[in-house]
Amino acid sequence: MPDPGPGVAQSIQPEPATSGGERLLVCLDPSPFSMPLIRATKRIADSQQAKWYALYVETPAHDRLPLENQGHVAQALYQAAKLGAQAVKVSGFRIGDEILVFARENGVSKIFVGKPYARRWRRFLGTSLVDHLIWNCGPIDVFVISGEGEAAAPAAAPGPKPRRLLKEYLLAAAGVSLCTGLGFILFPYLALTNLAMIYLLTVVIISSFLARGPAIFSSFFSVAAFAFFFVPEYFSFAIASTEYAITLLVMLLVSLMVSGLTARVRHQARAAREQERQTAALFEMSQNLTAINSLEELLQVAAEQLARTFDSRVAILMPETGEKLEIRAGYPFADEDVREGMVARWAFKHGLLAGAGTGTLSAVKSIYLPLIASQHAIGVLRLESSQPGRVLDAESLRLLEALGSQVALAVEHENLSRQTQGAQLQMEAERMRNTLLSSVSHDLRTPLTVIAGSASTLLEGEETLDSFTKHELAQSIFEEARRLDRLVHNLLEMSRLQSGEAMFHKEWYVLEEVIGSALGQLDPQLHDHPVSINLPTDLPLVRIDALLLERVVINLLENSIKYTPPGTPLEISARVEDQELLVALADRGPGLPKGEEERIFEKFYQVSPGSARGAGLGLTICRSIIEAHGGRIRAANREDGGALFSFTIPLGEGAPRLDKPLPETAEKN
Amino acid sequence: MNPVILLIEDDPQIRSFLRASLVTQGYDLIEAGTGREGLALAASRVPDVVLLDLGLPDMEGIEVIKQLRGWSGVPVIVLSARGQERDKVANLDAGADDYLTKPFGVGELLARMRVALRKVVPAEEGRQEGQYYLGNVKVDVERRQVWRGQEEVHLTPIEYKLLTVLLKNRGKVVTHRQLLKEVWGPSYIEQNPYLRIFILNLRRKLEDDPTRPQYLLTEPGVGYRLRDE
Repeated sequence: MPDPGPGVAQSIQPEPATSGGERLLVCLDPSPFSMPLIRATKRIADSQQAKWYALYVETPAHDRLPLENQGHVAQALYQAAKLGAQAVKVSGFRIGDEILVFARENGVSKIFVGKPYARRWRRFLGTSLVDHLIWNCGPIDVFVISGEGEAAAPAAAPGPKPRRLLKEYLLAAAGVSLCTGLGFILFPYLALTNLAMIYLLTVVIISSFLARGPAIFSSFFSVAAFAFFFVPEYFSFAIASTEYAITLLVMLLVSLMVSGLTARVRHQARAAREQERQTAALFEMSQNLTAINSLEELLQVAAEQLARTFDSRVAILMPETGEKLEIRAGYPFADEDVREGMVARWAFKHGLLAGAGTGTLSAVKSIYLPLIASQHAIGVLRLESSQPGRVLDAESLRLLEALGSQVALAVEHENLSRQTQGAQLQMEAERMRNTLLSSVSHDLRTPLTVIAGSASTLLEGEETLDSFTKHELAQSIFEEARRLDRLVHNLLEMSRLQSGEAMFHKEWYVLEEVIGSALGQLDPQLHDHPVSINLPTDLPLVRIDALLLERVVINLLENSIKYTPPGTPLEISARVEDQELLVALADRGPGLPKGEEERIFEKFYQVSPGSARGAGLGLTICRSIIEAHGGRIRAANREDGGALFSFTIPLGEGAPRLDKPLPETAEKN
Repeated sequence: MNPVILLIEDDPQIRSFLRASLVTQGYDLIEAGTGREGLALAASRVPDVVLLDLGLPDMEGIEVIKQLRGWSGVPVIVLSARGQERDKVANLDAGADDYLTKPFGVGELLARMRVALRKVVPAEEGRQEGQYYLGNVKVDVERRQVWRGQEEVHLTPIEYKLLTVLLKNRGKVVTHRQLLKEVWGPSYIEQNPYLRIFILNLRRKLEDDPTRPQYLLTEPGVGYRLRDE
């Protein structure tokens, strides 16, 4: 089943009729009888495994229907979409023609209409809708399904707001009277036919502003007035010659047609405006929902846009733990009426539109639209007009449904992508753990093997070994133990940094001291590498965690020692650049593999796997620490050979000045 | 008479390795596995140096130090793991004399113990001698003069004070707080950056290569130590 929400399109793309695949069409009308009709069609469609459409033709008369009936239409379309139909609404004048055009465009083979409703739609050029369909259907079969009794048929729609209509009739009468007055003034100067034209103009003006009834009334009234006042015999309906009778007849027909056409144009203009509004709202919603990062944001944006579009208070409710629906975004309704919550639950449970103006559970103030994704409700949209008592017209209901299904899809998409992301993160973590385990177990075992081997050799060969060998063995035990210690330290540091548990104790430090301390700790290893240090004496103090920054310098130095031949020099330098302290460590080793300059900061990366010592964590730790200080770390190859590592530390405000230390206190002995 | 060392440490392996090395170096070793036992032994046997592990099963190392300091001035050397710089500082400020980071070599331990034991030998006597040597730097306490080779080095009064505090504690770590308190006074104990600037200046005046100091050593995260020769 495709999109469960009813399509909003006024017409849908014609699809080629597939041979063998039946296509059924059920015609809806604004009565509760549409529901059994839909169910009947659904049964037939299921038994034939046919694709089916539910179609409603919206005529200008639709607007004059009572809200309850407009609600029936929306409900019927919605229900049909839920049952698997493609629900479509088209605008038109002639219901029968629109149905047939749609049926042909979509390769429909059977049309289902309700029997009782032929009575309501009977005025179709003198024939009923069913008659019209049967006469014009060609190869399409038409099935008439009887309703469930006349009681279900609604009373004929009462005219909308009789008072307003009366006013319009009076206006029409006034317009024609005005025209008649004008006629008296112009009578001496104009030919009779031109006077008739003025009347026609009046009818056009009246029918372009007033409803259809007053327009038709004005046609008759103007012809009557024209006949009475201006056609000989004057001041009598008696007509002097047949020529005049023809004039009057033509005038009547033309004015009737004009009023009809004008009404049609107005209806189409209104439909176009409505369509434009819907398209704009749908477009805006889809635009808004694309640039969203979290579910909360999505719901918030959707609720805000819906509130704007419908000038209403809007909230989105979703089931929290258990079945209880909670407001997740939008207007924080605080209900004194328990029925609101009940209707919300009903709409959620049944996946049906309910509430004010919908024809279902309409005794509450709000409209409840279930948000349906993957054929089950994921939440409910609550909408309450900001003007008390106002309900949404059918058109707005349809738009609301379309927007609702857009929101539902976006929510589902968001949920799915979050699940995918979670799964990916988990996989990544799993992979990291495995790499860590294998790398660490290798790196731990190597020194342990040396220690265990050397120690056992010492134990076994207490008498046979000469003192030089004994010393050698003891020495390697000692060195391997140191190596293990560094590895463990790096591992602990890494996990502290990555878990976010690391506490940074930042203070103002002299860089020279940090570098000096790092060099001091590496003294034994630096025997083979002359280090030249080039630090300006006036470097400003930097706000850092000295222990961590010292770790950076130590790890960078260890890395250089590890990968450069003995005897090659190391150079440490620093300078201030763009409000940052730039520290660089350069070596004269083989340099870095091309294109790997960034990768060396990745976890467990080793230039040549397996060959080097250490778990490949040192540089990753460096990067974590430098980034935690707001700086950057880089690696590059030097033009004249060797690698260059550099990092920056932002210079903070308010550094104590080197040239203005504490006032010296009075000397005490 | 051999100096008596009290080792308060719960790990039997570490105890056995320390026993092996200390006894061969001519120390008398008494051992305790818990803080309470250690305090009892410290009272009954009156050791010359206490080696205190920070991870005891029954009480915090800092508690042991505080109780011990209630009635004894015996030098205490704390054995701690790396990454516990805050603990180290807290212990030192609570009255411990020095610390060693695990894992450590016996050489380091013996050096620390020698410094600690020297304190027991009347500490002020060294100062009375009047002259200290740090490589080619000579500090003449009586005349308040500092010489580097043949040249006299001019120190500001604060720099000189700082140097004498470190000299008094030479070989031993001095925390930032202790230095600030002794040199500037109790209201300056939080002014670490100023201390760093003075140390930097002192290094530039006394060390051959101030970025790789040989005497005025940094104890990362803890304080400073003047190398003892």
